[in-house]
Amino acid sequence: MQAFLKIVGISARQQMTYRTALVAGLFTNLFFGILRASLLIALYQGETSVNGMDVGGAITYVALSQAMIAYLTIFGNTEMGRTVSDGSIASDLIKPVHFILLWLGRDLGRSLVNFVVRGLFFIGLFSLFYSLYYPLEIGRWFLFFVSLIFSWLLNFFWRMLVNLGAFWSPDIQGFARLAFGFSQLFSGFVLPLRLLPDWFSRLSNWTPFPGMMNHPMEVYLGIYSPSQLLGAFGHQLIWLFILVFLCLALFRLGIRRLVIQGG
Amino acid sequence: MIYSIKILWLLLKTQIRSQTQYRLSFLADVFTTAIFSSIYFLAFALILQRFETVAGWTLGEIAFLVGMTETSFAFMDLLFSGFDPDSFSPMVRMGSLDQFMVRPVSLTIQVLGSRLILRRMGRVLEGLAVLAFGIVTTQPDWTWLKTFYLPVVLVCQVICMGSIFMMGSTITFWTVERIEAVNILTYGGNELMSYPMNIYPRWLLFIFTYFVPFIFVNFYPTLYFLDKPDPLNFPVFAPFLTPLVAIGMALAAYWFWGYGLRHYQSTGT
Amino acid sequence: MDTIVQVRHLTKEFRVLHRRSGKWGAWNDFFHPQYRTIRAVDGISFDIQPGELIGYIGPNGAGKSTTIKMLTGLLVPTGGEILVKGMIPWKDRRKYVANIGVVFGQRRTLWWDLPVIDSLEVLKAIYRIPDPLFKHNLGMFRKILDLDSFLESPVRSLSLGQRMRAELCAAFLHNPALLFLDEPTIGLDVVAKERIREFIRHLHREGTTILLTTHDLTDVERLCERVMVLDWGKILYDGNLQELTSRFEGVNEMRVSFAENGEDGLLEGLEPPVREGRYYVYRIDPRKVSIPDLVSSLYRTHPVVDLEIRKPKLEDTIRKIYENKSLNTPD
Repeated sequence: MQAFLKIVGISARQQMTYRTALVAGLFTNLFFGILRASLLIALYQGETSVNGMDVGGAITYVALSQAMIAYLTIFGNTEMGRTVSDGSIASDLIKPVHFILLWLGRDLGRSLVNFVVRGLFFIGLFSLFYSLYYPLEIGRWFLFFVSLIFSWLLNFFWRMLVNLGAFWSPDIQGFARLAFGFSQLFSGFVLPLRLLPDWFSRLSNWTPFPGMMNHPMEVYLGIYSPSQLLGAFGHQLIWLFILVFLCLALFRLGIRRLVIQGG
Repeated sequence: MIYSIKILWLLLKTQIRSQTQYRLSFLADVFTTAIFSSIYFLAFALILQRFETVAGWTLGEIAFLVGMTETSFAFMDLLFSGFDPDSFSPMVRMGSLDQFMVRPVSLTIQVLGSRLILRRMGRVLEGLAVLAFGIVTTQPDWTWLKTFYLPVVLVCQVICMGSIFMMGSTITFWTVERIEAVNILTYGGNELMSYPMNIYPRWLLFIFTYFVPFIFVNFYPTLYFLDKPDPLNFPVFAPFLTPLVAIGMALAAYWFWGYGLRHYQSTGT
Repeated sequence: MDTIVQVRHLTKEFRVLHRRSGKWGAWNDFFHPQYRTIRAVDGISFDIQPGELIGYIGPNGAGKSTTIKMLTGLLVPTGGEILVKGMIPWKDRRKYVANIGVVFGQRRTLWWDLPVIDSLEVLKAIYRIPDPLFKHNLGMFRKILDLDSFLESPVRSLSLGQRMRAELCAAFLHNPALLFLDEPTIGLDVVAKERIREFIRHLHREGTTILLTTHDLTDVERLCERVMVLDWGKILYDGNLQELTSRFEGVNEMRVSFAENGEDGLLEGLEPPVREGRYYVYRIDPRKVSIPDLVSSLYRTHPVVDLEIRKPKLEDTIRKIYENKSLNTPD
């Protein structure tokens, strides 16, 4: 545990040193947020509520999802995969912390900094341009944060799963791009799932992706009925178990392969 | 000049050769890129099932807008791979640029020739498909002027966005790290021009009319091609400002690149 | 002969972010970054004559790379002047670099995915090397650098030593009169190093002017007559290599073993020796004692079995210079 916290701390400190990059990222998110909000406002033109979501809700959805880009690493990355391809994974494998936990710590440290700098600061800036909804009940805030933690974990293990592909293929870039593209679409990041056709959101519920973005957003907006709320958390938990299991299993297979073939 | 082009072609040829060595994996790469790039347009087509139009534009009309900017952005992204801030920043960091500087060829040529990411062809194809869809569904009234002007606009768009790429890379001379904010003008510019621009807030429109005149790069030409009324009441020649904007941006990029190089020579990394 | 490189009062300053340590260091750096100016090269002057092979040495961060970067036109000096073959490197960079060859040991010039020969063909076009010259040079380098076994292989598949040989060939294809080698032997094994040195020797014999930056003092000992020692941006020594060793570290070592055991080993005019097994080790200052006289008298008066004179290692000498910065450079 001590080692894990240390990893988180170092990674967070490291992330703090990317001063310009953080500020730049913040403004990029802001710009795209404004574009996305403008598009939704133009789409709503005259309509008060579409499938249970009004304009204000849609704008708040955009704000939150933009704010969480860096925290959740929605666009994905292939950092871990690269350590497999270039062999630097060796120095991680000899550390006395489980490999996946090691990366969890690294990503968590970075995410915590991103949560503050590119999350909270973002909301502050974005609310200068658009008025956002803020839940008044403590309970909903609580549920939102719990759901957000789950969605962070789902994103992490999804990313890990994609990266584990590097044990089998020397170049996972193309495959990873496509995988993260799909997770962006089906998680409701590109556009809120609720506003897409019903068949599409039903389809997406068979994937882990809505739990990576759409659920916490809708929990925040308070759109879910109690039973839907339960369903959303259940969905997140079940998929978290599945992804963790898959990652552990694939990691074990991959390591065996790496050891046998000598990288 | 001829010498420079010859060198550029030589450099690009070597890139093409090494990337197409494994034909099957190359084609697969192009294909996945095409699929990946269509995700955003796909999502937009899906949302229009609920809303039908946006600011009075149908799916086909939006497809025309998106198709134009996607095609030219993707083509630029291919041609200017070396100036992609994502790959330029490591070049500054790892000192490849120093290597280029001790060779007697224009640095611009060497950077352009240093990288050609062929899989980006996939996105060009996607853009062309969306554009074709837009043209087929909207059935624009083709005059000879429109037919002549369409490729001109596409070329100008490539130049405009290439200039932005170059300027974005130039910033790396100061920051070394890749700067995500450059995405505001590159990927952001592409996104911005993918929708009718009158949907944006006034201040934003002002910036993209008078400072970075993206509004004349895609929105106005498209209004002209599709014979749509101008919601902003600009003078009638507004659709024809595209070449002027392209020239202006190219000059600005050229100047800034030179300025950045001088800075790089005085500070190193 | 005309001076080929002229450097006068060359200075280069950088502004760097001063990172703070401690709990809130990163936080403070984020909001109030502090910068300070460091002087990487501090008013150095030297001349290089055509055909010289010069070792440019100094510890990490001494300013070697910065000097090379200024000499090759990559960096503009903060102050002072550089004139190489009558040109100011950073001013007419493109024209200038056609006349020089540069090898950065830790960087790669050659196209990673291409066979070596393709890279060389590209360079042929870039430097506008005429066909006959290209053929002649390539033929020659193939032999000296033994390129044949990997000329058709992509660069990424080469060993470090092979790559460096290819790099050297690439840097010299256009027959530059002046060659800058920045750590050409870094990370190579002994055999590979020796091959590289052989090539450098060959170029030197052909009359090329070479400035060699290196960490490996063996390179300098084997190759250079003249050395420049740099530290903290200043030249501490510029002159003959032999003179350097005798000037700064006079003490040689004489190791003697005698036929008769029980010899106390005390010799007149020398400090008492240290025993190392069969050997008696004496420290001798050649400025006070003539070594040839000493040796011949020793053979006459003592039953010497084995005798060996060890000169001080260059490394030790250089370390002495760094430790004792007050030493002035010879006029």
